[in-house]
Amino acid sequence: MPILQNLSNALVLASTYILMAMGLTMVYGVLKILHIAHAAVYTVGAFVGLLAYTWLGNFWLALLLAMVAAGVMGVLIYRGVYFYMLDKPRTVPLIASIGLFVMFTDLLQKDFLMGPYQRALPVAGAGMPRLRTEWFSITPKQMLVLAVTVMLLVIVYLILTRTRIGLGWKAAAMDREMAGAVGVNLNRVVAMNFFLGSALAGAAGVLVGVYNNSVFATMGDLPSYKAFIIIVLGGMGSLPGVIVASILLAVVENFLVASVGYVLPRDAVAFLVLILMLMFRPHGLLGQE
Amino acid sequence: MNKLRVERVSKMFGGLQALKNVSLETGGEILGLIGPNGAGKTTLFNVISGFLPPTEGAVYYNGHSLHRFRPHQIVRLGIARTFQIVKPFGDLSVLDNVLTGCGMPVYPSWRAFFRRYHTPLTEKAADEILELTDLSAWRDVPASSLPIGLQRRLEIARALATRPDLLLLDEPAAGLTSHEAEALAQLVRRLHQQGKSIIVIEHNMAFAMGLCERIVVLAQGEIIAVGPPEEIQNNEQVINVYLGRSK
Amino acid sequence: MSGYLMSVAVFVGIWVTLALSLNILTGYAGQVSLGHAAFFGIGAYTSAVLAVRYGQPFGVDFLAAILVTGLAGTVLGLPSLRVRHDFLVLATMGVNFVVVAVFKYVDFFGGAMGLVNIPAPEFFGTTFRGGVPYLLLVWGYVVVVWLVSWYISKTWVGLAFHTIRLDEDAAAAVGVSSARFKIYAFGISAALAGGAGSLYAHFIGSVFPDTFVFVESIAILSMIVFGGVGTLRGPIIGAIILKAAPELLRFVQDYRFTIYGALLVLMMLFQPMGLIGEGSWLWRNLTALFRRPAASQQPQQEVAQ
Repeated sequence: MPILQNLSNALVLASTYILMAMGLTMVYGVLKILHIAHAAVYTVGAFVGLLAYTWLGNFWLALLLAMVAAGVMGVLIYRGVYFYMLDKPRTVPLIASIGLFVMFTDLLQKDFLMGPYQRALPVAGAGMPRLRTEWFSITPKQMLVLAVTVMLLVIVYLILTRTRIGLGWKAAAMDREMAGAVGVNLNRVVAMNFFLGSALAGAAGVLVGVYNNSVFATMGDLPSYKAFIIIVLGGMGSLPGVIVASILLAVVENFLVASVGYVLPRDAVAFLVLILMLMFRPHGLLGQE
Repeated sequence: MNKLRVERVSKMFGGLQALKNVSLETGGEILGLIGPNGAGKTTLFNVISGFLPPTEGAVYYNGHSLHRFRPHQIVRLGIARTFQIVKPFGDLSVLDNVLTGCGMPVYPSWRAFFRRYHTPLTEKAADEILELTDLSAWRDVPASSLPIGLQRRLEIARALATRPDLLLLDEPAAGLTSHEAEALAQLVRRLHQQGKSIIVIEHNMAFAMGLCERIVVLAQGEIIAVGPPEEIQNNEQVINVYLGRSK
Repeated sequence: MSGYLMSVAVFVGIWVTLALSLNILTGYAGQVSLGHAAFFGIGAYTSAVLAVRYGQPFGVDFLAAILVTGLAGTVLGLPSLRVRHDFLVLATMGVNFVVVAVFKYVDFFGGAMGLVNIPAPEFFGTTFRGGVPYLLLVWGYVVVVWLVSWYISKTWVGLAFHTIRLDEDAAAAVGVSSARFKIYAFGISAALAGGAGSLYAHFIGSVFPDTFVFVESIAILSMIVFGGVGTLRGPIIGAIILKAAPELLRFVQDYRFTIYGALLVLMMLFQPMGLIGEGSWLWRNLTALFRRPAASQQPQQEVAQ
């Protein structure tokens, strides 16, 4: 049954969207900054993962290193740039974020970093089994993507619900000033939030690199634009919204391509959806005014 | 004569009822709107001036329903307002702030593309308003550099520039010294003498009592009393609402 | 002037008009757009299609480019009515992607191969390919765009743009319909960029979708932010420096977007009003330099009052 096969493929695609968009939503939730430079964090994650894997030969270690590197980069972006712009008009951090994104993407394409070409990241499946049934089959690589995503989501869920940082984050997302007033250490919360969100993006970068067996400097562009579509669909700042919207977008994309073919490339279709969404349901599919 | 009629207006925010079946009628007077925090005063202003649609009920001005009118259209009908949290155009000079209001008749027409806003004629009109509101000394400084009391007065000046018949003032005396508040009260009386109807939201009871001819008391979205100041002062329900909270 | 410098001067002129036109939308009306290259592209393609497919002369192409792009800007500005701030930025970004995708995947527009053999403008039997006449044509257009920008800043429309940039609620309270004026800003800004697109198409002689992609929008935004958003001088200086530097300096060419990006970040950190924007360090010192005698008298008068 091709529908089930499509669905399982879509789920794999959605996993990477979720990891990518989660960080963006977390940043938007607390700081109300559109963190466009998130795309660069994702690419750096993939790049570090590639280096670590060729060096150590162990996927899990490489994944961990990539996440830490991406997380640190996220914290540095916050402490080095956004931190100074929290009281400025909203266009200020926005433009700075665009600047960071352009700068990193261009730098990464230079020969001393990644160069302008694609590199292979040949991880076979890190010991994941192949699942094959009558209706659909899931390759070890797909299993890997799904497993890592589920694992990370469980960890995020635990952090957000069981720790002080998580509580602080929720309070800050509701009302930043109020949270500060009741004794939440905002800087710590926001920095943690950047670390966590960026680490997830780093993991997404590695997973996509493994899944497509290719890592390149501009690999973050499209996923990050899509991540914006997702956080709009999910209702800016909502974590469950991100999961639902990611799955929805992945499913729609997959089925459109599989059944209709297309006039415009599917990414343009995704943007048309974004524009229409913004116009007619600006608070997201699940959101309310 | 300009007449505002609010008819059975209710406003819900999610599960919260901000206004409950509010009806009132005013025109040609200085009407005070008082009540504790969260009573729905500003919400009522937002409904009248078109910033919020009422959940139920309607607002009529001179017999016409304001249903579906946008805020900028309501200004054109002659209802101008100020904001509780002042919103001057910070980058613009005090004069230009007032000029933004003077442009009200021009904005919707094509003339807006071809007419300059700094002409002797427009500046004269704006200067008159600055004179009236005692802001002439600050004519050319950026609005953001004014202290809060003057910013409040500038908002009134900007509202006056649209030549309204009905003026909605949202806590104009908040943060003013007693001296400044007295000057403000005189200004409001002068505007009233010129034939404008005025509704004032006020926290300061003494100020409202001294200024208004009639007072409406809101509590938890409902009107609990209407009447002249003396009567309100002795109204038991009002005393309960106020004293019950503050003491 | 060598042919190379000449063409750099033409490019700089075209990008100055792009910066000035975006300045009306972003600087005056406060609507940050990441899709300005799309309007540049619509102008270029309108001109190219009319010239190549229908053999129309330059004058017709040019006016049509302005008209069509102005209309497109009005239509593509519609999301701005529902969407504010960050969301609008996303929408304009989306518009850029969709427009480029249309150029790329619709055969009428030549697909990825673009449209080639666009004839040079011809007036009274002489062609204007390159050279001083084209340079004058382009910089003549710069003057026109500057005059339009200047005039708008003096009219009621300009004042209304200020109000919606500064506070939409307060704008409504003085009778300004933010919807109407946002659409005006999009329309005017796009129309002027369309003219730039037409001049570009007829100068290069060919158009390709990749010229008008999202990063070009960022480059144009960088120019006005770097120079000073909302002023009449900032975008010009910003465009001249940021467009000429990569052409003239090899190093800057290689690291063009690294530098653009770093500049945006640094400006936002230290001089959010731009290099010579209102209140910037450089502009304060420059004006102080020229107005010293007058400035020393003024404080005394204020004290006297």
